[in-house]
Amino acid sequence: MQECTAVRSCNLGIKTLYFSMDTTELIRIGVYGTSILLILIGLYAVLTKRSLIKIIIGLSIIDGGIHLLLIGIGYIKNGTAPIFSPGSENAVARMVDPVPQALVLTAIVIGFGVTAVALSLVIRLYRHHNTLKIDEIKNLKW
Amino acid sequence: MVGSPVLLIAIPLLAAFLIPLLGMVWKESVRIIPGLVLAYLTFLSASLYIEVINTDTIVEIIAGWRPPWGINLVFSPLTGFLTTIMTFMGFIVWLYSYRFKRNVEFEAAKKYFIFLMLLVAGSVGIVITGDIFNQFVFIEIVGISAYALTAFYTGRDSAEAAFKYLIMGSLSASALLIAIIIIYSQLGTLNMAQIAANIDNMNPYYRIIAMIFFIIGIGVEAEIFPLNGWAPDAYTEAPGPVGGAFSGIVAKAGIYAMVRMMFTLFDIEGPMKILIVIGLITLIVAETSALRQEKLKRMLAYSSIGQMGLVLVAFGMGTKAGVFAALFLMLNHAITKPMLFLSGSFLTFNTTEKYIKQITGMAKKMPVVSIIFVLGALAITGFPPFSGFWSKMAFLSAAADENLLFIMATILIISIFEVVYYFRVINRLFFFEYDDKISIEPHKPGFNGMIALFVLAFIVLMIGFYPSSVTGFIDLAADDLMNTHQYIDKVLQLGQTIIQ
Repeated sequence: MQECTAVRSCNLGIKTLYFSMDTTELIRIGVYGTSILLILIGLYAVLTKRSLIKIIIGLSIIDGGIHLLLIGIGYIKNGTAPIFSPGSENAVARMVDPVPQALVLTAIVIGFGVTAVALSLVIRLYRHHNTLKIDEIKNLKW
Repeated sequence: MVGSPVLLIAIPLLAAFLIPLLGMVWKESVRIIPGLVLAYLTFLSASLYIEVINTDTIVEIIAGWRPPWGINLVFSPLTGFLTTIMTFMGFIVWLYSYRFKRNVEFEAAKKYFIFLMLLVAGSVGIVITGDIFNQFVFIEIVGISAYALTAFYTGRDSAEAAFKYLIMGSLSASALLIAIIIIYSQLGTLNMAQIAANIDNMNPYYRIIAMIFFIIGIGVEAEIFPLNGWAPDAYTEAPGPVGGAFSGIVAKAGIYAMVRMMFTLFDIEGPMKILIVIGLITLIVAETSALRQEKLKRMLAYSSIGQMGLVLVAFGMGTKAGVFAALFLMLNHAITKPMLFLSGSFLTFNTTEKYIKQITGMAKKMPVVSIIFVLGALAITGFPPFSGFWSKMAFLSAAADENLLFIMATILIISIFEVVYYFRVINRLFFFEYDDKISIEPHKPGFNGMIALFVLAFIVLMIGFYPSSVTGFIDLAADDLMNTHQYIDKVLQLGQTIIQ
């Protein structure tokens, strides 16, 4: 971000700003944008779709977006895996942050568990009501 | 030293894993093991708590990674206080449900006890962990076991309630994860003490966004207003003791997570208007909804939400007296609301609807259970000399110290609402004739359930007549919560540590 502030202080146009940005920044913006887009798509599906299965798909899309965001914050240009091995002792500066990767693995497992529980509940609901439409399942106040 | 805090999480998780295996050998073990585990947890938690009060906060390091790198567990006067309440209530819920589906359905009972273990493990984990991502994992453990317990009965609308809970729960967990990502990307740490020490270096916009996501993320378990739509349905559709477990264990963990986040992580000085506003809205909406409920458990659920709002308002005052009142309210609610749920569950035994009119005149058939229900109702509405009186008194004097007259007026008006809807039930119980057509067949309460209710009733009376027996502990817990610097120092510089 150092270059960006320098460019802005020189009063150059947006085009110069765009070209002066590091590719790392571009990739980062791309990853963040994609993940936020995925979260919004998922949220849209959860809030507007009337089918139980589509709601669960929406939840999974939100999870996917969040996992991408989580991986994105650990990104380093030309980074390597955070593993120490003989001959790569000087590669510490280029190692990607291992914490988000550990977090994303945990989050994936949790997401899997929640999706499985949700689908089993859908089976129960289908047996009870014989439909997947949320409008027809309203014995309780939604 | 009797053990270490990590056992409070590890043992119930191990038990949940072992129950189905041992159940194959000896069916009764499915019921006995959870009881032994919960009794041991209560003992361990209480003895650690006494040790912590007499000496110093225990900071336990997991797997040898010192804070801020590894996960640490913090057993302080505050977390010890809550953990002891939660494990004890877990034991009471177990005692009540010992004969649950006995000789009827083995598989169902097995699942019930497994999820009860997971619920306790997750709730204790939320309270004693010192790492925000770890807290997220425990919130998900509580969430998944709570969805499963809500959907316990087939043939009722329980799957619908559970699905509703699941949608809200997993959306809010996503929000919590986003908040954790924001904090990690800004501060590069997940340790609560480290975050609290560095929070001033964070860009204020990111700080506010992270805080909003945190409130959404934790709000579902803490039952705050727009996120509590699941609660009345889940409390109604889940088996009786589970309602007690939700109000006595899960809601407490949720409130703790919320308060720890507000007081320690984001360290907002002075009265926290946002908590007061959230709490007041929750309180007013829930108590007015409770007025027009026709189902007993739904009414109790709304009352539970209202009490959580009251607790948040008390925390929101931000003063020592306010925090003291809030913790006192949490203690009383943790004991009284399960008492109401468990006795109410005896009164409406084995009915699917649980309408209030179905218990008309039951006092003549089940006098002891009815009297315990009345005791709970009087305690929660704040009649002297029961426990609720002292906590409401502490709340009002804390509000008076801060000159918050509007809040005092609101609480007093809301108390009238509470009296109205509880006395409507008491009126039906005691002053109506038993009628075969409306009322349900009275059910003889089990011996173990009666012991559980008597223990709770004894505690309510004890706190009512001798409030000084608990106020000392609450005072220490309140001090612990207020002193953020002490928390940071204890965790990062390590007072009394156990390296596993």
